[in-house]
Amino acid sequence: MKAIQIAFNLNGKLITISSAPNRTLLDVLRDDLGLTGAKDSCGGEGECGACTVLMDGQAVNSCMVFIGQVQSHTIVTIEGLSDEGQLHPLQKAFVEVGAVQCGYCTPGMIMSAKALLDRNPNPSDLEIREGLSGNLCRCTGYVKIADAVRLAAEELSHG
Amino acid sequence: MANETRTVGKTELRKDAWDKVTGAAQYVADIPQERMCYGAIVRSPHHFARINQINTKAAEDARGVLRVIIADDIPGRKIHGPLVQDQPSLAIDVVRHMGEPVALVIAETRQAARDAVTLVEVDYEPFVPIFDPITALQPDAKKLHTNGNLVAEFDVRDGDIENGFADADVILEETFNVPRISPAYMEPENSVARWNDDGSVTVWVSSQHPFTDQADVAEALNLPVEKVQVKSAVIGGAFGGKEDSTLAILAGLGAWAVKRTVQIVNTRQESFLAHPKRHPAQIQLKVGAKKDGTLLALKATAHMDTGAYASLGPAVGIILTETLAGSYRVPNVELKTLVAYTNSPLSGAMRGFGSPQSHFAVESMMDMLASALNMEPITLRRKNILRPGDQMFTKVVVNQTALSLPICLDNAEEIIKRYQKIEPAPGKKAGVGMALAAQSMGLGAKVPDDSTHRLEWLRDGSVLLHLGSPDMGQGLAMTAEQITAEALGLPYEMVKSVELDTLKSPNGNVTCASRMTYLTGNAVINASRQLIEQLLTEASKMLNVPREKLAYKDGLVITPDGEKVVAAEFISRVADDGRQFISEATFSFPYPEETTPQHLPIGMPHVMFCFGAQIARVEVDPELGTVDVTHMVAIHDVGKVISRSGVEGQIEGGIASGIGYALYESMVLKDQGQWIDSFTEYLIPTSKDMPEHYENIILEIPEASGPYGAKGIGEIPLVPTAPAIANAVYDAIGVRVNSLPITPEKLIKDMI
Repeated sequence: MKAIQIAFNLNGKLITISSAPNRTLLDVLRDDLGLTGAKDSCGGEGECGACTVLMDGQAVNSCMVFIGQVQSHTIVTIEGLSDEGQLHPLQKAFVEVGAVQCGYCTPGMIMSAKALLDRNPNPSDLEIREGLSGNLCRCTGYVKIADAVRLAAEELSHG
Repeated sequence: MANETRTVGKTELRKDAWDKVTGAAQYVADIPQERMCYGAIVRSPHHFARINQINTKAAEDARGVLRVIIADDIPGRKIHGPLVQDQPSLAIDVVRHMGEPVALVIAETRQAARDAVTLVEVDYEPFVPIFDPITALQPDAKKLHTNGNLVAEFDVRDGDIENGFADADVILEETFNVPRISPAYMEPENSVARWNDDGSVTVWVSSQHPFTDQADVAEALNLPVEKVQVKSAVIGGAFGGKEDSTLAILAGLGAWAVKRTVQIVNTRQESFLAHPKRHPAQIQLKVGAKKDGTLLALKATAHMDTGAYASLGPAVGIILTETLAGSYRVPNVELKTLVAYTNSPLSGAMRGFGSPQSHFAVESMMDMLASALNMEPITLRRKNILRPGDQMFTKVVVNQTALSLPICLDNAEEIIKRYQKIEPAPGKKAGVGMALAAQSMGLGAKVPDDSTHRLEWLRDGSVLLHLGSPDMGQGLAMTAEQITAEALGLPYEMVKSVELDTLKSPNGNVTCASRMTYLTGNAVINASRQLIEQLLTEASKMLNVPREKLAYKDGLVITPDGEKVVAAEFISRVADDGRQFISEATFSFPYPEETTPQHLPIGMPHVMFCFGAQIARVEVDPELGTVDVTHMVAIHDVGKVISRSGVEGQIEGGIASGIGYALYESMVLKDQGQWIDSFTEYLIPTSKDMPEHYENIILEIPEASGPYGAKGIGEIPLVPTAPAIANAVYDAIGVRVNSLPITPEKLIKDMI
């Protein structure tokens, strides 16, 4: 397929790229833009959540979004979450409670948690589990991940 | 160890966590490379077939394709394998499982490589495949390998089995089946190899043993080992599945062939088909006991399906056999384990390494026996647990850490009573079950079982830790840093580990077998002592004070008149002379000849065990057959906590994996002859599948030979999970499922 110009907001900056529109957002982020925080784990089937990014504030699997669909939309990746070296409260909480083991699911997990807290700043335990259920993790059993989301929610509501 | 510790036992922050939460951490596929090209693998669509011909012409002529490699092109050794050299890097004349690599396509882009895979023409002549180890071992079964289909056989006996059963009041006999389990680490296998102008190759791996990768790549390329540099990138989980060479050999071949940098990354489907699983097995178990519950005899025959190639199957067979009596004292045993080749995808190392299989059988059986004897399961267990000084059937004497078993049971009793009082949700039936577990540590007697690590004291007084074995994500680096900091009396922040590089790091052997905290910890303590000795020797010269009059504490040299000089001062002065304080230590797993029984096969016995217990409360929907694990308590003896959050994380992750084993996971052949090979059909637990109420009870009964008393924790947490859930399901609805996973289909069938 022929390359076209695609303009979108990426991590707060308006950019224009040239790409065939049928490539996935994940491939463009990783291969063209050097943003390798989003991962492929399930083989581009939308099953694992490791490639989760925010599209207009919603958590999406970037392996399921064609780059052509991104035209004029706003994308935030894990790289866009920290503010001038200051970790986002979610990132801080993941470090502090030991929610990170191998770390491969972590960027996607944090982006899903961000989408959750943006729409529900004070989620119940059940809502946290529900909100993260599209993101697979094989190391942690999700216990400390849920703790981290809870801690970040408190931090954000007090901050 | 009543002394106050500085960092051991506390929760410290993992130093790799910052990069992992910002997306900066670089796994193999994330490392920027110049002029990279891509490899894609032509894989067998057949379970078992002869290859009559491979025609690569159309693929080689395709746009963007640089080269297509088949087995004939490999300049050096064409076959590899961790225990038995039986696995071709690219198929030679025969394919023995679906997904076996047949050819490697190298192209300018990932897409071009994948497209060209379909252009490689392979003329296959299929055979009738064998998927069942019992069929594979029949005398008339077609042989997968010239030596036949039996990979390994273990026969371990103790006492007199006939007398044991003759004296028994109750005898039970059951057959248990456990499924094939994918490690399902989130990062699929991968490798990048760069051909260097000087004729050497640099390979990045996600591997539990980069030094094996180094040797394998060197053999395949016919290069001296020194010409192969292997670098460990951040590892996205391994759980045993990355002990075998993953893609390093093929990436190395690609780089050699095109003299460039080649990246190969498996898709999830390729990971399912072509990389080691936890062994499926059939275990026939017969137990005999007295009326009062005393176990008298245990006889077992286990058939393990190791798939098309041995991988670590024989070693897994050893631990499966050794743990068949669980945590119990049984005077008369006869255990037979057969490891067979089949046309299934290969099985090898995976968390628990045989112990999850044996424990599902023996811990289910204990509850069945309790029921037959009309006893409480906990009473039966209490009567039979190993006590310090007891001999296991391997003649290994259990040491004082077995004291944790009665404590596990006391805790469990109280928890079970509490759980039994909880009312089920409307329409549900509740049940409570428990299981004990024993998990061996180390590689076993008569096998090289050591680990080497290096410390380097820097000018500013901080310490670089060159780990010889990779951290696969579980937190080995943090644990080793904490122990080093403790041993040197330095703040945790002052010890930092560096990623493994075979050119620079010592060979610490493979990360596996619940042995790293123990071996690495002891090695870095010894290396720390050497550093202190080097420091005091230099300080003695510089201060002109006899060495024995000087003391070291917490980064300070203390003179006889009480003056304290910071170590950094001496380190700097030594560095000015172009010297360094560097130490390296090897710690070997102790198998003293006088106390280690010598009558068993290589790799047997194991002499040190982790013990633990888990209690599960489930709610079963009697109409749908669904099982909800509502409560879980995990009790584990770690000897001594090194990293609090690290230990908890290992337990919690193990439980999740154990819940998958109990209720969801099974990689089976579908009706149309395809394997389940995606997360769409192979369900691993999500956050919603974890128990709503969850608690860890961590016991610390010191292992005298362990670093600060520590033992392992990596594997045992998933071992009792599945049988505890199976026992709880039985308690809830009176249905005993002898095959994992416990699916609604199986429950409904038995309930009707």
